[in-house]
Amino acid sequence: MSNPTEIADAPVIVIKKRRRRPFGFYIAGTWVAFVVLVAIFGHWWPTPKWDDSFYDSLGVGPFHRSHILGTTQDGYDMFSGLINGTRISIFVSFFSVLVGGSIGSAIGITSAYFRGRVDKVIVFAFNVLLSIPNLVLSLALLSVLAYSDENNPASTPRRVMVLLMSLTIVIIPILGRIARGSTLQWSSREFVLASKSMGTKNFTIIGRHILPNVAPALLAIGFLAIGSIIIVEGSLAILGIGIPGGASWGSMLANGRGNLEFSPWEVYMPALAIAFTVISCNWFGDYVRRALDKRESKI
Amino acid sequence: MSVLLKLEDLSVSFATPRGALKAVNHVNLELLKGESLGVVGESGSGKTVLSRATMGLLPGTATRTGTITYNGQDVTALPKDEVRKLWGTGMAMIFQDPMTALNPVRRIGSQLTESLTVRLGMDKKVAREKAIQLLKRVRIPEPELMLRKFPYQLSGGMRQRIMIAIAISCGPEMLFADEPTTALDVTVQAQVLELLSELREEYNMGMILVTHDLGVVAGHTDKIAVMYAGDVVEYAPTRALFKNMKMPYTEALFKSIPRLETPTGTRLPVIEGRLPDPTKNEPGCPFANRCPYVQDKCRAQAPPLVDAGDNHFYRCWFPIGGGQ
Amino acid sequence: MAGTGKAHLRPGADIILNVEDLVVEFKVGRDKIVKAVSGVSFDLVRGETFAVVGESGCGKSTLGKAILQLPKPTSGKVEFLSKDLTKLKGNDLRDMRPAMQMIFQDPVSSLDPRQPVSAVLAEPLKVWNKGNQVEIDAKIDELLFAVNLDPAVVRDRRSYEFSGGQCQRISIARALALDPTLIICDEPVSSLDVSVQAQILNLLQDMKDRYGLTLIFISHDLAVVKMISTRVMVMYLGKVCEVAAPEELYNHTKHHYTKALVASVPIPDPDRRINAGLIQGEPPSPVNPPSGCRFRTRCPMASDLCAAEEPELREVAPDHFVACHHPVVD
Repeated sequence: MSNPTEIADAPVIVIKKRRRRPFGFYIAGTWVAFVVLVAIFGHWWPTPKWDDSFYDSLGVGPFHRSHILGTTQDGYDMFSGLINGTRISIFVSFFSVLVGGSIGSAIGITSAYFRGRVDKVIVFAFNVLLSIPNLVLSLALLSVLAYSDENNPASTPRRVMVLLMSLTIVIIPILGRIARGSTLQWSSREFVLASKSMGTKNFTIIGRHILPNVAPALLAIGFLAIGSIIIVEGSLAILGIGIPGGASWGSMLANGRGNLEFSPWEVYMPALAIAFTVISCNWFGDYVRRALDKRESKI
Repeated sequence: MSVLLKLEDLSVSFATPRGALKAVNHVNLELLKGESLGVVGESGSGKTVLSRATMGLLPGTATRTGTITYNGQDVTALPKDEVRKLWGTGMAMIFQDPMTALNPVRRIGSQLTESLTVRLGMDKKVAREKAIQLLKRVRIPEPELMLRKFPYQLSGGMRQRIMIAIAISCGPEMLFADEPTTALDVTVQAQVLELLSELREEYNMGMILVTHDLGVVAGHTDKIAVMYAGDVVEYAPTRALFKNMKMPYTEALFKSIPRLETPTGTRLPVIEGRLPDPTKNEPGCPFANRCPYVQDKCRAQAPPLVDAGDNHFYRCWFPIGGGQ
Repeated sequence: MAGTGKAHLRPGADIILNVEDLVVEFKVGRDKIVKAVSGVSFDLVRGETFAVVGESGCGKSTLGKAILQLPKPTSGKVEFLSKDLTKLKGNDLRDMRPAMQMIFQDPVSSLDPRQPVSAVLAEPLKVWNKGNQVEIDAKIDELLFAVNLDPAVVRDRRSYEFSGGQCQRISIARALALDPTLIICDEPVSSLDVSVQAQILNLLQDMKDRYGLTLIFISHDLAVVKMISTRVMVMYLGKVCEVAAPEELYNHTKHHYTKALVASVPIPDPDRRINAGLIQGEPPSPVNPPSGCRFRTRCPMASDLCAAEEPELREVAPDHFVACHHPVVD
């Protein structure tokens, strides 16, 4: 019978490298944390209302005594405008990536796990959606669902809703494809077969085995997607179909570009805000991806 | 017979956060021209690191000490591009997984002719003819068709033969085969090993065959080096090793192989315990904690390499069959 | 050799598994069909170790998975403990699962790298509600001790922290968790070192004796198979070549493929050179297997009859069956 001295006790030596986080981690992390904080708590900071016009200080530059970052040509305070813009831009990008990502991943994972004809249809649908440039898609949706011309302009809430919807739809196939590809890889591993042979229900397998292994890849791409959406929103704003009223960074940029010669801060401040945030998000996404690759090479 | 390859006091260690990891410890080996040397070891024995070190293919974190002499020339001090010139015409290598050794997006023909045109400066047409000859030599059916195929279209055995064809294309003096048949089926393995032996005789090539399978080395090598935890623990001509094992590890390894002659239902003898930690420098014989014949002296002092005569070397204080 | 035929079945014995005319075919690409298993039948007596031997591509792994209905075979009958698994669906099939478990070839990939060992072993117990957390933990400890692993050290670690042999022990523990009747071992020692292989084989034997298991042992290694099994079935390209007890199979080989297999096994004895000349070339593709006997393209004794007619399994010696028109003469 089994010899007690045969007990194979301690596991093999694992050489764990002490991970010293790269410098960029702290810079990007600080900026993102800062932006998110401002987005959540910013409107409690005592500043003038962002959509109040200050007729006595039109177009003043930064470091003015009552407007620390200056005002636009129409008298809107830049500082409060940026704070408000942070809220809107962060909200829009996080929402569309979270919601779109969840829907896309759910579809992608389920489709890849069960395969069959449904999978073929989903792949086709994803490819169709991906082949439409997202600006065109947003334009199309907005013009149909939130039609607005001089005579009966669409209400702001409606425009915002349609904009959010179109951005969400853009994200669905992007994350959906990643989820599908990753699931295909993981569901062919033997431990999934082992779970099936135990009688574990399919959705339990997906939740317990597939999802935790697919999630890191989704996280990496998710960060990149947030950056992308901020830019897309900006582009839509310049086209005139972003969040109306100069509420987001993109619309601040759009409104201010005409005044580039007189009050350039109207343009470069929101531009810098967008740039830093997108760079930080991209950096994070890259960092997660690299950490993942290292880990996966061990497995 | 001249000495083709000589490894003298070769050691390799890797820098890790936990200290230096000793993968290969002061190994001395010699390969004569036309001779076949088997290097046998399990995972963690250091045999893979040894083969990489000999070819100069170690990663940056590795430190290599000792000398490697090829045809009388010290290659340890040579710069990388000089070493590379030796490959192909001097030393050729065959790997375990032909899929990773062959370029998946290039046709077989172009991979075969590449070394001929680049290294030997052959004309394209001549190279193509030579490639077909090589394929015939490694017994690939329909060689002309094979030239146009891609690696993914072939079975493991075919790919391995093609790798052998590429390896011998420039007429090397020495073949380094790193677990060439481990991934193959047993019938294909037998054919590939037979092919290697034939080619060796025909071209009078030296061969170093690295494997974990004692059965493979038994039939295809002139001498064998058994490795354990980075040391060569026994080194002898093949017949002598099998008939007159001295080191208990060799004996334990030999006994734990299932054989066709073993009656059904027998329990295999097992080597208890684990490999020692390669980052720690513990005194004594590395096999001490697992040896069925261990004594106090074994734990205190590491045994030196002893010459038992007739080119049979071993590392053991109390070898099997006496001696010390 | 075209292994159809049921001459080797043993009605009347304590049969727990009866596989008849099993066919598994996959579509590859647009119009190619891989005939992985083409009409295999065998039965399993309680308490035996039944080995399925063959080289890669012979369909033995597919056979193992098809018995568990993962996925369901294309056609055929799989009768386990008197129930035809191919006809069961949904929860009825699920209810049969605890009695039939599987161990896989790649020890590391058969464990979820994100789960600690305690979760890996708890999963089957939780799925089938085998008690509360305390009882489950006790069972996990019991299983780990049974496979010679120290629970205190092993419980919270993950698969990538272990060696191949240790991972395989954990897989065995997982397979034992539901007290199965049958365990299918799909090449369980092929990717392990020789010394570890010996440990795992001994462990499987011990587990079988202790828990009264029946094993199907799938392997390409004849020597391993001969040591551990009580009955051996040799497969080639989806068909059965020969069925016999291991000693009989080795000492009185009747099929030419088996003979070539036996001759190719490397022998750790320098005085005995293996004869590689008995077999040439590679197995043909399972998409387009040869007509008649599938082995005829590599068989030294192939005749016109072999191309025309598929041989059926027939008894050529007591409890020794072969599917060949011209079996080996001693």
